[in-house]
Amino acid sequence: MEKKKRGFSFYADIYRKILVQDLKTKMSYRADFIISTIGMIMVNLSGFITFLILFRNFPTINGWDYYHMLFLYGFSLVALTPVQCFFDNNWNLRFMVTSGDFIKYCFRPVNVFFYFMSEVFDVKGLGQLAFGIGTLIYAWAHIGIPVTALTIGKLIVFLLTASLFMIALMNAAAATCFWIRNSGYVMVIMFRFKDFAKYPSSIFSGIFKFLFTFIIPIAFIAYYPSLVILDPDNVPLLSWLSPFIGILFFWLSYKFWMLGVRKYDFTGS
Amino acid sequence: MNPRKLLALTRAGIMESLHYRLGTFVTLFANLIYLVLVYYLWKAIYASSGVDVVNGMTFTDTMIYLILATSLFNFLEMFVVWDMSRSIQSGKIILDLLKPLKFRTYTFWSYSGSHVVSFIMTFIPTFIIVMIITKGAIPMGLNLVYFLISTLFALIVNFNIEMIVATICLYTESTWGINIVKETIVLLLSGASIPLAFFPEKLRAVVDFMPFRAVYDIPLTILLEKNGADTLQGLLPMFGFQLIWIVILTAAGSLFWNCSVKKITVNGG
Repeated sequence: MEKKKRGFSFYADIYRKILVQDLKTKMSYRADFIISTIGMIMVNLSGFITFLILFRNFPTINGWDYYHMLFLYGFSLVALTPVQCFFDNNWNLRFMVTSGDFIKYCFRPVNVFFYFMSEVFDVKGLGQLAFGIGTLIYAWAHIGIPVTALTIGKLIVFLLTASLFMIALMNAAAATCFWIRNSGYVMVIMFRFKDFAKYPSSIFSGIFKFLFTFIIPIAFIAYYPSLVILDPDNVPLLSWLSPFIGILFFWLSYKFWMLGVRKYDFTGS
Repeated sequence: MNPRKLLALTRAGIMESLHYRLGTFVTLFANLIYLVLVYYLWKAIYASSGVDVVNGMTFTDTMIYLILATSLFNFLEMFVVWDMSRSIQSGKIILDLLKPLKFRTYTFWSYSGSHVVSFIMTFIPTFIIVMIITKGAIPMGLNLVYFLISTLFALIVNFNIEMIVATICLYTESTWGINIVKETIVLLLSGASIPLAFFPEKLRAVVDFMPFRAVYDIPLTILLEKNGADTLQGLLPMFGFQLIWIVILTAAGSLFWNCSVKKITVNGG
């Protein structure tokens, strides 16, 4: 137990050191930083405008009214923040694997996955977080959910749960580059599917309900975890199970990623 | 300009994209999953609204519009911005600038091959599947010819937007940020994320004058024979709109490029 604790503080210390270096590099390209931040705001704004236009034409979707949908939307934005902030280096993986630069991560006495991800902290994600929290609070106030320590606690746990699914999805998509050349499109496609996380997954039926719950888990990015807060009287079993399923998905994606690393060692290119 | 020279570039592009066949299949497959998502989402939206026609669009119209918009998006997607920033970094751009061909012409034709491949291998299959699912809801007739012409115009408009954005990148040295701003604006204002028919009137009036409509909305409106596109009187203003923007954007784009190309600084190379 004692040893494990030291392990954690060891990794936290490394992470902090690498993070500071990364932020220093980012700050030296100030114009790029500002434009990227504006870009991120535009992305969220455009998502929001699409949402407003949709609701101007159709007042409810599958029994969900404007404020409940807004809650789901805010929830998905917050849940997508960790993958944006902490796992953004996945987007560089394929270039590093092709060029051979990836080998440097294999020579350090720390976990390869940890070291690779710690190298980039994407500050732009914080704008999205602010946008998401704002939307969430606004919707929360209009629905009139009581604010208690228990609901806040639940919200945090289930937001973290939801983010695990997106992280797992992107890890798995990025790791395909160990097997397929030029696999960028896999990530682009997976990243586009997340746009559907903000709609209630009750719209799916049959085999596709299964597909979008357990294979491409977009139903878990917002719908199932948020039901715990939105509809506390009849929460489906899958919502309660989602933290465990989330950990399982994350673990599987991590194993898949590391399997790719081991394969990379063998080719030695 | 010798057309054989240009067609040689097309042929090289075709061969290059055929090399990455797997990517084409994955894109097609992803389009199918996307098709399922759009189908279920809009089915639920129309079912909740209780009416069949909203702003002149039926459920089938909306579905065809959105799926083919995504498919067109894959077809029109160019990585001019990324490729240019990478070839500036590596110095390759010098070789391209020295070619006995205008740089803009060279860029356009070297992308043409991948357009041909993705049109045949992803757009046409998606189109056929949409035809089967909607049981032939797409009108079949001269509109297909008009659609092809208008898609060709859309391709040129899109190329010009890409080139202008890539030229802006020469000044800002920010690729990701500028690119995401462009993508967001184009997708929202061209009707690719939500059909322009659903836009509120005031916003619609502004969007109607912008060039983005020429990329997705006009070809799809022509295909679906909406807004009087089944008559010559309805058709001519749409083609006219596309042509005017081609002229404006080509003139502005080449002027901007010719001024900016002198500013390129390549380290080493």
